[in-house]
Amino acid sequence: MLRRPQRASKLHQRVMNTNSLTQAPWHQTTVEPLEYHRKFLKENCRPDGRELGEFRTTTLNIGSITTADGSALVKLGNTTIICGIKGELAAPPADAPDKGYIVPNVDLPPLCSSRFRPGPPGEQAQAASQFIADVIENSEMLQREDLCIEKGKLSWVLYCDIICLDYDGNILDACIIALLASMKNVQLPEVHVNEQTGLAEVNMKKKRHLNIVKHPVAASFAVFDNSILIVDPTSDEENLSTGFITVVIDEEEKLCTVHKPGGTPLSNEKLQDCINRAITRNKEVCKLLNKVMKSMKAK
Amino acid sequence: YLHVALLFWQQVILCHCTLDDLRVDGRSCEDYRYVEVETDVVSNTSGSARVKLGHTDILVGIKAEIGRPKLDRPNKGCLEFFVDCSANATPEFEGRGGEELGTEIANALYRVYDNERSVDLKSLCITPMEHCWILYTDVLLLQCDGNLFDAISLAIKAALLTPSKIPKVQMMEDEEGTTEIELSDDPFDCVRLNTENVPCIVTLCKIGQRHVVDATLQEKACSVASLLVSVTSKGTITCVRKIGGGSLDPESIYEMIETGKRVGKALHAPLQDILNKEESLGKSREKVGFIG
Amino acid sequence: MPVDTKRLRGPEESQSPWLFVEQEQQSPPDEREDGRRKGQVDVRPIFARCGLVSQAKGSAYIESGKTKVICSVYGPRETERKDETDMKFGRLVCTFRFAPFSCAKRCGWIQSTQEKDLSMALLGSLHPGLCLHRYPRSQIDVSVLVLENDGSALAHAVTCASLALADAGIEMYDLVLGCSLRQEGSDYLLDPTFAEETQEPATESTENRGGMMVALLPSLNQVSGLLCSGDLEQQPLVEAVAACIEGCQRIYSVAQRCLLTAVKKKNPPPDG
Repeated sequence: MLRRPQRASKLHQRVMNTNSLTQAPWHQTTVEPLEYHRKFLKENCRPDGRELGEFRTTTLNIGSITTADGSALVKLGNTTIICGIKGELAAPPADAPDKGYIVPNVDLPPLCSSRFRPGPPGEQAQAASQFIADVIENSEMLQREDLCIEKGKLSWVLYCDIICLDYDGNILDACIIALLASMKNVQLPEVHVNEQTGLAEVNMKKKRHLNIVKHPVAASFAVFDNSILIVDPTSDEENLSTGFITVVIDEEEKLCTVHKPGGTPLSNEKLQDCINRAITRNKEVCKLLNKVMKSMKAK
Repeated sequence: YLHVALLFWQQVILCHCTLDDLRVDGRSCEDYRYVEVETDVVSNTSGSARVKLGHTDILVGIKAEIGRPKLDRPNKGCLEFFVDCSANATPEFEGRGGEELGTEIANALYRVYDNERSVDLKSLCITPMEHCWILYTDVLLLQCDGNLFDAISLAIKAALLTPSKIPKVQMMEDEEGTTEIELSDDPFDCVRLNTENVPCIVTLCKIGQRHVVDATLQEKACSVASLLVSVTSKGTITCVRKIGGGSLDPESIYEMIETGKRVGKALHAPLQDILNKEESLGKSREKVGFIG
Repeated sequence: MPVDTKRLRGPEESQSPWLFVEQEQQSPPDEREDGRRKGQVDVRPIFARCGLVSQAKGSAYIESGKTKVICSVYGPRETERKDETDMKFGRLVCTFRFAPFSCAKRCGWIQSTQEKDLSMALLGSLHPGLCLHRYPRSQIDVSVLVLENDGSALAHAVTCASLALADAGIEMYDLVLGCSLRQEGSDYLLDPTFAEETQEPATESTENRGGMMVALLPSLNQVSGLLCSGDLEQQPLVEAVAACIEGCQRIYSVAQRCLLTAVKKKNPPPDG
């Protein structure tokens, strides 16, 4: 049963002592990583000292990129994700003349890990981009109608570019937090369409925030040995796991998305466990987000 | 990219000779090899030129086409460069081997030529924000014997200087609102580009303590690094770039810039003479072409 | 434009709102916006930190004014291509990229010709500083990402990359530091901001305009990279190069201190 985390240091210490480990020996982590992880999981904790249901330390920094209309930097343990949103003007889509566009894209450059090669986005990046697009649509965090300036003529396009700077597992959670934080940070200028010339007129001095109605937060789990669920897996844990599941919940405890790309099948109870943990995670993240935004306003 | 392996003693002799202002083929440090320039070699282009610099053989063809101007330069035309390292030149260019070199050369050419100061881009504009002339410049490397940049720049300047066949156009809007292009009937009524400021590139290679102009492949193999200097006819320097994997001390750089400026400035006048002579011959000149 | 089939696409064409803002014709100001002086060697203060990307062998982050650059180094690892030179020397591969949100106008995801050009310039600048003969048959990958471009992106990328290489423990002859400059008429502006780099001239016929980047190995006093474009006379050009060299020397101490901190953190001195 995944519970709210308590300090797991005592359990962790016990495992280390029982196995006469003062520091993770190289042969244990590299030659027999699975055995090494299993030793800890038997005692309901993990090699980095966390409990099974514990997230890594999350830090958030908003609005540091001034050239972007909205930006956020998220650190989830070592995993670092930066999201920058830029608004551009375009004609609305032909099939929805009163809506704008939201275009997310996740990039996993060779900068963040040696497993990625330069070139077009690989499978993982494409899957992540599609996941983010699904979350934006399912959660209805932002009404696309809000992005329309003049029906049939002009609307906003929000390009949400998400780049991973350090890959240590669980990028989906971090991407969602970064996206949410930067959306809340976005300020778009006022735009009118001049009736005579048909061209847009932009007033950079008047800016307003987006109307974010829902706050979806993701919680990702890895399945170990077909049975044990661990939350927020690191890169090593991801490599050893047999299945993944990501649950996205908004602040009204409504389920937005469940993303399960194959792997070990899960029973109903396990799924309910995940959902419950995700609900508490949403509260944690919203609290952090509000704290950071308040401290920014205070400046 | 192009490697010529020289034995150590060959490198030493080469370096020592340069100190005395004497090179392997008898030239002094600031002499160019024998240059041959021929224009109008490719008939269906707006301008073309072929330059032979020693054994280096370059063919440049410029085609003018109507397109949309770039968003940040709405009332100016632009140049697009494509460099093709033909496998004929050396077997190293087979398949994708020459791609890296081609990209490097194309990038350098963009920096040197695709700006307002070198070529009068405003004259290439037809309708601001809508239509402009884009000069697609194709550079073909037929044979490589060192000093590619200098030969390419001479060829580009020659191709631009010749009476380019860029016709005068007017955009007319008819009743339905579609724009039509109207060409003037007179085949000799064309836009002549103002090529006063088109620069020439001089590549200087540092060998030992001195630097040389127009290095052959062998001399390049002995050099630490090269400096590319692009000079206009007025003597202003439009681009300086260090190429190669070595480093230079500041004093050498100042000397090389001075030599580059002197040599570069002196290149323009003879080139203009040759081209004027060619133009005056008109139809009666013999075309050497490719065979013969 | 090649169609990017692997990324989610928005509308066919979109334009930055900046194109529609009323451009006020401003003549270039007499004083520099941030209070630095014209014609003097005045670089922006630099904040540098090493070792922030946990996955990389070495990494560095530089912040100078609003320009933010991050670099990771991976390697030496086995090289993919093997030709004659690879048998004796290591291969250095540099990638320079702007994040799409780094400039006022959004850049696309596909590497543009400008980025390829800057990657090559970066490679040429770093190459002389490394002892590549110590890593035969190997490849060292340097990836630079500009998070925010407020001028002198390439110069800071060079400095950042050499700090990351040092952090990765790659043997080097010396750090490579970069500095850029903008020449306007008779004055030069060292370490220009983006606005200063793209400033339109006061009059059409302003002589001596250009931008330049110099990469220097400070203790050996060797210039490893020089990239200049514009319309300059010989004398101002030579003076500009000298000013850039002095600018590089100014940031040497900051770079050294940053490396020292990083090394101490990795290897804390034994207690007692």
